[in-house]
Amino acid sequence: MQTLNIKIGGQAGQGLVSIGTILIRAATQEGWHLFAHQDYESRIRGGHNFIQIRLADRPVASWENDLDVLVALDEATITRELGEVKPGGVVIYDPDVLGQDAKTLVEKPNCIGLPFARIAEELGQPKIMANSVAAGAVWALLSEEIAVLHETLALMFAEKGEAIVQGNQSVASAGFARVRELTRERAVPAKPQGSEPRLVLRGNDALPLGALAAGVKFMSAYPMTPSTGVTEFISEHGRIARVIMEQAEDEIAAINMAIGASFAGVRAMTATSGGGFALMTEALSFAGSAEIPIVVIDAMRPGPSTGLPTRTEQGDLRCAVAMSFGDFPRAVLAPGDVEEAFYLMVHAFNLAEEYQMPVVVLSDQHLADSYVTVPPFDLSRIEIKRGRVVSCAEAGPDYLRYRCTDDGISPRLYPGFGDGLVVTAGDEHGEDGHLIEDAETRRRMMEKRMAKQRLVEENALDPVLCGADEPELMLIGFGSTKGAVAEAVEILNSQGCRAQGVHLPQVFPLPKSLAALLQKPARKFIVEANYSGQLEDLIASRFAWKPDGSIRRYDGRPMNAKFILDRLPGGVCHGS
Amino acid sequence: MAADQRFEVRQETAWCPGCGNFGIVRAVAKALNGLGLDPSQVLFVSGIGQAGKLPHYVSGNVLNTLHGRTLPTATGAKLANGDLTVIAVGGDGDGYAEGGNHFLHAIRKNVNITYIVHDNQVFGLTKGQASPRSDPGMVTGTTPLGVYNEPFNPLATAMTLNAGFVARGYAGDQEHLARIIQAAIQHEGFALVDVLQPCVTFNRINTYQWYRDRVYDLDQEEAYDRTDRQAAWKKSWEWGERIPIGIFYQVKRPTLADHYSDILDVPLVRQELDPGAVEEILSEFRIG
Repeated sequence: MQTLNIKIGGQAGQGLVSIGTILIRAATQEGWHLFAHQDYESRIRGGHNFIQIRLADRPVASWENDLDVLVALDEATITRELGEVKPGGVVIYDPDVLGQDAKTLVEKPNCIGLPFARIAEELGQPKIMANSVAAGAVWALLSEEIAVLHETLALMFAEKGEAIVQGNQSVASAGFARVRELTRERAVPAKPQGSEPRLVLRGNDALPLGALAAGVKFMSAYPMTPSTGVTEFISEHGRIARVIMEQAEDEIAAINMAIGASFAGVRAMTATSGGGFALMTEALSFAGSAEIPIVVIDAMRPGPSTGLPTRTEQGDLRCAVAMSFGDFPRAVLAPGDVEEAFYLMVHAFNLAEEYQMPVVVLSDQHLADSYVTVPPFDLSRIEIKRGRVVSCAEAGPDYLRYRCTDDGISPRLYPGFGDGLVVTAGDEHGEDGHLIEDAETRRRMMEKRMAKQRLVEENALDPVLCGADEPELMLIGFGSTKGAVAEAVEILNSQGCRAQGVHLPQVFPLPKSLAALLQKPARKFIVEANYSGQLEDLIASRFAWKPDGSIRRYDGRPMNAKFILDRLPGGVCHGS
Repeated sequence: MAADQRFEVRQETAWCPGCGNFGIVRAVAKALNGLGLDPSQVLFVSGIGQAGKLPHYVSGNVLNTLHGRTLPTATGAKLANGDLTVIAVGGDGDGYAEGGNHFLHAIRKNVNITYIVHDNQVFGLTKGQASPRSDPGMVTGTTPLGVYNEPFNPLATAMTLNAGFVARGYAGDQEHLARIIQAAIQHEGFALVDVLQPCVTFNRINTYQWYRDRVYDLDQEEAYDRTDRQAAWKKSWEWGERIPIGIFYQVKRPTLADHYSDILDVPLVRQELDPGAVEEILSEFRIG
């Protein structure tokens, strides 16, 4: 596999995302597959942020440490990141922003000084076009032709008018020409094969897209990083998709508003992150008791408390599985990549409505903010299952909202859709929805609700496997570690170690089929991004089982193959 | 069933004999019967507390939700199906303490619902603790030395936020209360009806007799202009020898649904779900 790692570092507000987006779009157009992750601080200006783009000639799902290209928009990028550049890698920096010490660091071959803003200004363009100068400079290391980059700029700036398009193209050409000239000796990578159309998406695009495909009609949310992208996506596209996104005064209001809409008969959701998710505890329990479908996206970031607001972790798993008071059925899904995020959102709404219960979809900052190229989605795969709903004609005046059935699922009636009255309560209630106090009804209602949990477990999504079928080493994870685990497994197999990756797209209830995998005669490691081993606990308590080891990351940075491989004990594989 | 008898009040309740809630539930049924609505078109959303039980005792759809969460839940339901007449019901503890923040923002959103608050100035269901509406000095289980917090003024607060309909009723005057509730339901936008409600068990100060001696109908005040916000706001502070009831303030403002009028040409709940509709948005992310 041919891969190329490009890191662009600078301060917040310097246009990293713009440069990244230009390069991501142009590289995809050129035929590259890519994975790009973002690292940013909890501030709007200043600090040190980066976007790192990994280009490859086949699909990639994770990132690599060693850099082929480092672009420095600020001094910190040089002082902090220079050591990550591979021997022979290229550094492009802006000499106008470097102090004397940093300048000394870049006095070596393959370091190219390029005053991005000055070049833009010298060409009579505004400073802000420094972004396109930098994009042109990087492009010179990828291609001998600038045409595709020009096309991308034309598309991206079309709305701003011809003058802006031409301005960006001219400064990009200047950056491109300067670097081409200085690196003439250096071969550009072979142009990747294949030019089939692709989608470039972040998790925060794929999740709301999946919700829209599922027919979500109502969302309410309170902004919280890193879930805000989902909220803004639905707000932005709501009018085309005919969906209401109503910003709430707090997360408590957000989930209750969505529950109200769902009760009335529409697909409804909310999105939040750890602290906001915790505020939804009470409402989750209400939805469980009142049997109202609701989908909650929790985009995890490192806790406890406010933690590291802009970074990544998988520390809300225990909370998602166990949060709230009393027993009620639920499901927790954990998509591992954007494709899974899209289709699992549809599944989440189906589960919520079929079993009339809350469904939590766990995302995290790494999934939420990382761009990846994927084949276009197949909308014909989408099946909307709204569960048991009584039609207007069937709903006689004797309708009972909580009618006891063999499987515990009571047919829903949307209020106002028949003569029958829909009576719903979070207080314990009888079949008619009115409040009760007697022990017998309470017992029956509890058993009716929890019968649904058994069904959810029986239909739980199976683990997604990769690598060797009869492994000697097994790596088990969930959510956004999927790509890192898959790549680690691939590397291990290439070294002669029979490794298998087990990704769990559904973490609660765990699929029964996991039991058979756990009994395979392999050394098993749980890979997860939290301190205490929340997935490990969950599997251990469900299957009375212990892994051979654990690989955990809790510094707020995303997992990758190197992180996993570095932590596998020596001799763990006969082949290695 | 005759149009004016469709809303029935259930005989058996969990309320104390003589509770002010009986006057309120009868006034609600009377108001709805007078409007000729069918119970299947009406949704009651309530919180927790003695007031939260009201929807279980009168005909209609019911969403009996959590303590304090009445208003956001009602907002979501109304946005999803604007054809429903949505009436939120709760007590002063539910609405002004636990749900205080939601109260402020539901008014700002101006969602087209009616909000009836059973204002008995005490926590009834938990046996008589101080509420945000308790008068200073009132001795309760949590305030043995007497209430010391400034009482919450729901009417003044609502008017400060420019609520479109702000009224006060009295549980002891069902006819008057029913008229106010009807006007509230007919008002396009958020309509607050704070109802003075004697709690016969835990509030020995604000009794039926206490209210009878004090309440008077604003309509009987000549020259009272319910569109004059300053005057209405001032009126809302009258609390002593004389206590005004009636519609304090009414003005038409754009509702939450007006903001979404392009999406809500058909109620959300009647719109088709079409996965293909996402194709256009997906194309923005397509390259090549």
